[in-house]
Amino acid sequence: MTVFIAMGDQVWNTAIWHKTWGDQRGLVLAFAALWGVFPWLFLWLSAQIPMPAFQDVLLQAIPKDWQRLSGVPFSDVATHAGRVALAFVDPVVVLAATVWGITRGSDAVSGQLERGTMEMLLAQPVRRLALWVTQALATTAAAACLCGVLALSVSAAVAYGPWAGKVEPDRFLLPVANVFGLMVCLAGISACVSAADSYRWRTIGAMSGFYVFSLLAKLVGRMSGAFGWVGYLSFLNAYEPQRLVGDAAVSWTNLLVYDGILLGVGCVAYVIGGVVFCRRDLPAPL
Amino acid sequence: MLVEADQLTKRYGPFTALEGCSLAVRQGEVFGLLGPNGAGKTTLLRLLLGFIHPTSGTARVAGHDCALDSLAVRAATTYLPGEARLFRRMSGHAVLDFFSGLRRECRRDEATRIAQRLDLDCSRQVARMSTGMRQKLALAVVLATEASLVILDEPTANLDPTARAVVLDLVREAQAAGRTVMFSSHVLSEVEATCDRVVILRAGRVVHEQSVAQLRRHHRITARLEGAMGEVPAELREHVTVTRDRDGRVVLETADSLRPLLGWLSTLPLGEIRVDPVGLDAVYDRFHRHG
Repeated sequence: MTVFIAMGDQVWNTAIWHKTWGDQRGLVLAFAALWGVFPWLFLWLSAQIPMPAFQDVLLQAIPKDWQRLSGVPFSDVATHAGRVALAFVDPVVVLAATVWGITRGSDAVSGQLERGTMEMLLAQPVRRLALWVTQALATTAAAACLCGVLALSVSAAVAYGPWAGKVEPDRFLLPVANVFGLMVCLAGISACVSAADSYRWRTIGAMSGFYVFSLLAKLVGRMSGAFGWVGYLSFLNAYEPQRLVGDAAVSWTNLLVYDGILLGVGCVAYVIGGVVFCRRDLPAPL
Repeated sequence: MLVEADQLTKRYGPFTALEGCSLAVRQGEVFGLLGPNGAGKTTLLRLLLGFIHPTSGTARVAGHDCALDSLAVRAATTYLPGEARLFRRMSGHAVLDFFSGLRRECRRDEATRIAQRLDLDCSRQVARMSTGMRQKLALAVVLATEASLVILDEPTANLDPTARAVVLDLVREAQAAGRTVMFSSHVLSEVEATCDRVVILRAGRVVHEQSVAQLRRHHRITARLEGAMGEVPAELREHVTVTRDRDGRVVLETADSLRPLLGWLSTLPLGEIRVDPVGLDAVYDRFHRHG
């Protein structure tokens, strides 16, 4: 027991936990409100286009080559489940998850160095590792809470919205888990960059560049046969929520692979960032 | 010794921030660090706290190696940075609560008491506080602990004269309670009034160490010579140095009591005699204006 308490002191600090929640409270509330409302709006707007009309446009008007961009056959998209799944690749969800990951991750070290608050914090008897791990856990816990809001909201919108009874509400828990993986992955990579940096704006800039590169790499990999290998350079290849609403067994296997990659990359980035942060010289307030 | 540094050196590529710094601070002492901006004062303090790692040399606080056991060092130390920045979204009370939660020995009621002595309104949000108010809040955080070593990097910067006086009183009270204070400041009169010993840094090196008690015995006698001065008596040669200033006046400096000199001085043909204590500013000038 004593060993566990001693280990806990190494990696945990309750005051930092409360402070981190205080820091992210505004963002959590804003995104919770957004994700609480968005699925209802999305389904209501989607329901304005009747299914036969949607199928006509998707299956006949759009070039077949574009199917490669969607990651799943258009015939899968042209179902109620497929149309609900489009909500998870909508910019409102993807950008919110991205902004969350980059914002919270970049704040870990370079944000506090830039604000000058790290100095007073680390002058206290707090291990750098405890600061790092506690912040990472608070960020991850908040991401889980936001995904919980998204899951509840999507399920409720599906169960009670315009397509009530046409699709099972619990089919969308796996895409939500994929959103969680994306948030943890981006937060981990951003925190890792932040651990080595002293300016938050530079961390955010680097992460934005990395995100755009990943997005382009994914598109090039999908669209170009000769440059298909470029797609493997993108972590976004593991964000495929539309592939997680089909057959349950296949979807679970896909989720294990996708979230294995996203959570794995996020965790490795957190470990590398932790090592960097614990060993680096901390510059004087800027 | 509570603080010991041995040949402590910090380089950033070709730039040397601190070079071969050796010093020792005794328990219960108020120890001053003097030097212009960039002299290496803050680098030394940050090395002691383990914020940065030395290129070479070692430092110990309360027996703990500053590079290898910085947690134990920080548990024995409370530190006010040169430019203390606190969490802007918190109120003053929340800041005091937060830091009380981080240090078991931090006394929340004492922090409130210090804030009151500094005439600080803790109900205000940090973002709405002036620079001086934030400095006061940081001082309340730092001085409310019972850590054996108090490190204050320019604690009176941004403060009004009344608050400065309170801070100096708090430093003396910390010393009276048996705590050791390391004090960095550009205000020489404050250092002289508060510190027991000072070191002067220049370009990353310790160039002078001075006991303030000894400094108080230093005197400078300036006078117009109205005749031939003659030789300094042999028994006084160790106690007095004789120079001339720009106006041709004779300047006698003594590091000891004036009494042995008085008899000899009365025999000299001197006019317009002025006797001044040699303050810290004169010692500082020797290294930084004329050095």
